Amino acid sequence: MAKKILVVDDEQAVVRYMTTLLEDHGYEVIAATDGAEALEILDESVPDLITLDLQMDKVWGPQFYRKMSKNPALKEVPVIVVSGLARPELAIKKAAAVVGKPFDPDELIRIVRDQIGE
Amino acid sequence: MNQQTVLLVDDEEDIRLVLGIALADMGYKVLSAENGKEGLRLFREEHPPIVITDIKMPDIDGVDLLRTIKEEDPDTEVVMITGHGDMDVAIQSFQQEATDFITKPINVENLEHSLQRVHERILAREKLREYTHSLETMVHRKSKELASLEKALQGGDGGPFAGDVVRRFQRLFDDLPCHVVVMDEELVLTAVNRKFRRDFGDREGELCYHVLKGVETPCTDCAVQATFGSGESQEGEAEITTPDGANHQVLVWTSPVRTAGEAPTHVLTLYTDMAQIQKVQDHLSSLGLMVGSISHSIKGMLTGLDGGMYMLDSGLRKRDDDQVHEGLGVVKEMVGRIRNMVLDVLLFSKDRDLQRVETGVAEFASETAKGIRSLVEEHGIEFSMDCPENAGVFEVDAGLLRTAFVNVLENAVDACLDDREREDHRISFRVRGGEDEVVFEVEDDGVGMDEETRDKMATLFFSSKDRKGTGLGLYITDRTVRQHGGDIAVDSEPGRGTVFTIRIPRKADGGSQAVPPTGPGSAGRNPEHEAEEVHHGQEDPGGRR
Repeated sequence: MAKKILVVDDEQAVVRYMTTLLEDHGYEVIAATDGAEALEILDESVPDLITLDLQMDKVWGPQFYRKMSKNPALKEVPVIVVSGLARPELAIKKAAAVVGKPFDPDELIRIVRDQIGE
Repeated sequence: MNQQTVLLVDDEEDIRLVLGIALADMGYKVLSAENGKEGLRLFREEHPPIVITDIKMPDIDGVDLLRTIKEEDPDTEVVMITGHGDMDVAIQSFQQEATDFITKPINVENLEHSLQRVHERILAREKLREYTHSLETMVHRKSKELASLEKALQGGDGGPFAGDVVRRFQRLFDDLPCHVVVMDEELVLTAVNRKFRRDFGDREGELCYHVLKGVETPCTDCAVQATFGSGESQEGEAEITTPDGANHQVLVWTSPVRTAGEAPTHVLTLYTDMAQIQKVQDHLSSLGLMVGSISHSIKGMLTGLDGGMYMLDSGLRKRDDDQVHEGLGVVKEMVGRIRNMVLDVLLFSKDRDLQRVETGVAEFASETAKGIRSLVEEHGIEFSMDCPENAGVFEVDAGLLRTAFVNVLENAVDACLDDREREDHRISFRVRGGEDEVVFEVEDDGVGMDEETRDKMATLFFSSKDRKGTGLGLYITDRTVRQHGGDIAVDSEPGRGTVFTIRIPRKADGGSQAVPPTGPGSAGRNPEHEAEEVHHGQEDPGGRR
């Protein structure tokens, strides 16, 4: 069974990019373009990994993250922050990894593999 | 000194005889001594320029004689006569500055060669002396000329700015775009430049602080007085008042004027209006702010571009046509956005002067509408342009103003696209010609703005996620409109749509070329929900969201 990744980013182009990239490497991808939509998806199923953009309208990344931590089922899911912020590590302290934008696709895949394997 | 005299010192009579004759034949006057002591006496008496002396002598040996002669008259040429095996001594002689040595038995030819050397040296020394002398004379003469020139600069008809030499600098003095004055120790103005004359009048002979500040005492930290005191250039700040009553903060730079080594008699002073510098500083810092705020957009665009390219690559590899097309589409879109951003940034940083030309209003409106037509068609938005034929003319920089309007129209398109409630949208662009001004309205029934967003529009670089642009578009619009002496008003409600109302005066004198100051969070707004006027020099409409 392919590992499932939830991609959260409000830029359609970035979502398409990450989906294509991750699917090419054998992962199954679900996408959400805002925090609220992502939480809805998480109500229904638990992914193996989440990638999160921090600067989103309506539900801001760190807020989303906090809400998510309250759900015990989700606590173990690694979160990779993918963000254009200069120092994203300052916003999310418990992220499994932090990737700046623009990112090197090989680097991202390597980090995902490190977290959840192929 | 008699050039032809040679002193011959040798204890051997035969040598003295032979040499004596040889030298006499050569044309020299010969003095002979049979020992060192005698030689020294004759030397002191007659001062011969050339001495030929044996080394091995009973009393004073040749080297000692050489040393003594050289001490007393270093220019004397001394030739040593050495025996076979006197090499060490010969070398010692040279160290003592002997000119040459000849070995016994004396060969007349060798003697001639030695004397040749002697003469060459004498000649060389003469030449050097002559040259040095003429150099010294020249330096002396030039110094005198320089001194009298300096005097000419100092003297003459009052003040350091008289005399031909200085007329060369007169041009510079006059052409500098800041105020330049010269004053004496009493702080009386003795010379002023053209700009000063234009702004303050012909005030030579008056006191600096009278003219510049209208007061009775000098400034407490007067840079000019400091210059007189220290003799060094100074920098300072001052507040001056121009005859129109306006106060100006100025930077003051001084330079002492004096003859070398003496205390300054006058001080040259430059005043630069700080407002100019302030303006540049402001512009630079807003450029900095802008770069910071658009960096996020840039990162987003670059990531998008990366994505498009990845999809192209991967699509080609997998032979997935759909993906290839999708990737190419993304690349085109991103490149377009990056291009717009770069152009916006360039436009923003240029702060260009308007080139206002009489333009037909109807013509302007239809050209502007043309610029947006393909965009509205692409998105299926209904667009109408409504402008009366007899709208007249106005004096505008058509190119800049058109860009300003297109930004507003594109904003309207964005608002429609963001509105997910409705399928069909419409934008109308209306023009009304008043007597003194032309009024343009851009109305859309798109997503509208809530109070928070309208408030945010007031900040200079508002555009949280303006994906399609830089957020600078509306800032530039606002700036252009204000440069034309016009203004922008916004009326908006969430779910209802938005109306932008832009007024442009018909004539150029309706507004000034200089852009009124503005900036983030500048000035209080009228906190009403309905029409909100954006006043001169206050807010700048930013992005939409």
